Amino acid sequence: MKKLLLPTLLLAALGAKAAPAPADTTATTSPVKADTPPAGASERKWFRPKHLVLQTGGGLGMVAAGAGYEFAKNHLETDILIGYVPKYYAGSTLSLASLKFMYSPFHLPVGEKLQVVPLTVGAYFSYTHGTINDELKGQYSADYYWFSTDTRYGPLLGSRLTFLAPPVAATGQPRKISVYYELGSNDLYLASWFNNQKGGLAFSQLLTLALGVKADF
Amino acid sequence: MLSFTKLYRRARVVPVVALLGLGGCNLIEFSPNDHRVPEEFTNLTEKNLAKLKAKPLAAGDTLRFIFTGDSQQFYDEAEALVASANQQPGISFLVVAGDISDFGLAREMQWVDEKLRRLTVPYVTVIGNHDLVGNGRPTYGHIFGAYNYSFVYGDTKFIMVDTNGREYNFDGTAPDMGWLRPQLANRDGARRQVVISHVPPTNDDFDPALRTPYVRALAEAPNLVFEMNGHNHSFSITQPYKDGVTYVNSDAFSERHYMVVTVWGDKQFRIKRVKF
Repeated sequence: MKKLLLPTLLLAALGAKAAPAPADTTATTSPVKADTPPAGASERKWFRPKHLVLQTGGGLGMVAAGAGYEFAKNHLETDILIGYVPKYYAGSTLSLASLKFMYSPFHLPVGEKLQVVPLTVGAYFSYTHGTINDELKGQYSADYYWFSTDTRYGPLLGSRLTFLAPPVAATGQPRKISVYYELGSNDLYLASWFNNQKGGLAFSQLLTLALGVKADF
Repeated sequence: MLSFTKLYRRARVVPVVALLGLGGCNLIEFSPNDHRVPEEFTNLTEKNLAKLKAKPLAAGDTLRFIFTGDSQQFYDEAEALVASANQQPGISFLVVAGDISDFGLAREMQWVDEKLRRLTVPYVTVIGNHDLVGNGRPTYGHIFGAYNYSFVYGDTKFIMVDTNGREYNFDGTAPDMGWLRPQLANRDGARRQVVISHVPPTNDDFDPALRTPYVRALAEAPNLVFEMNGHNHSFSITQPYKDGVTYVNSDAFSERHYMVVTVWGDKQFRIKRVKF
């Protein structure tokens, strides 16, 4: 029960954080014509990320923070994350650099302030720095171990709840905060599963869970 | 009704509390290299030795155990092995001669334990080279326990020693001769002794600088029944150094064979290879 309760609390807390919509910004927002970009849009540099991300789990860190870009009417996303795992949990302090690619085909509006993204599929790629027995040059002959100790990749599958806040008055910049979960796995767990097709491993044993929040800015 | 400000103030401590609590949630994996597993999957060596101690063997009794190795990634085979091993009469315990995991990951060690805990007898392990990949060393330490350890069962002392020299870049620490020599010299009241490690001294992955000291120490050890290894995935019983010391190499789980080993007298033994 405890295991279920805590993520729920986390989600609830993030939700509570996202919910307050300051009323003072809405009243003064100047109307923006649909066919012209908002005033602030031209000042937005192409490299400026669309959102910030904070997540836990998914094999990408106890805490992973980063930023991301959105394309194709927000259906495609790329997140870049830097993650951290304390020595207490892994035997050495790990830092992870990760890249996530996601596709969300449906954005379903639920009322004015809420949007549900029922399905996000994607893949990630991560590099871990700080592992203890990291292959030194000459330690092994070529192909001694067929897998990489530090580079992981795997699939993602998740959902998202987005809280829409009124746009920023000065720029017309739309704002939203999303909470999400992602089930994932990695190349090594999947390889283990593929090599045991007589029921030695259940698919559920390969799964990892990530919980996170994204804020557009 | 609570104002948003108040709600916000109260709610903002929740993520902190939740994050601390996530230390107990294993689905939320921080990294495949982290070793957070439920308590039941920790200190397995100690727990299994306690189970063994609860079923003592009378002095003078013949000892019979199952010897195998390299369970790495062979979960289908592990199930079949357990089913077969549970049919063997008079077995005291099972030994896995290293490479419990393939990638040195906590989940793999947990998966193997989930199979082997269904054995009707306890099992013990020694660390293998694959268990030392990445952060495998602290992971094995957390889940199983000591890298070098010994125990006495009946009239036999078992010495389990880390011989995975290549994983330490042949730095002269594995095998730890400073630990092994006094272990071999003192049988802790047992009549005979057995040394079990993963990498055999005949293999290129054994620290070349320690090969001669290791082989010599074994040759000088009183009442050493044999030295047992894994790593090769191939059954063999040989005396490669022609010094009277027998070296036994196990099949991997993938070879679908294990050995039933019977030990009695000063250093008498019989080994039966069983297909499963």
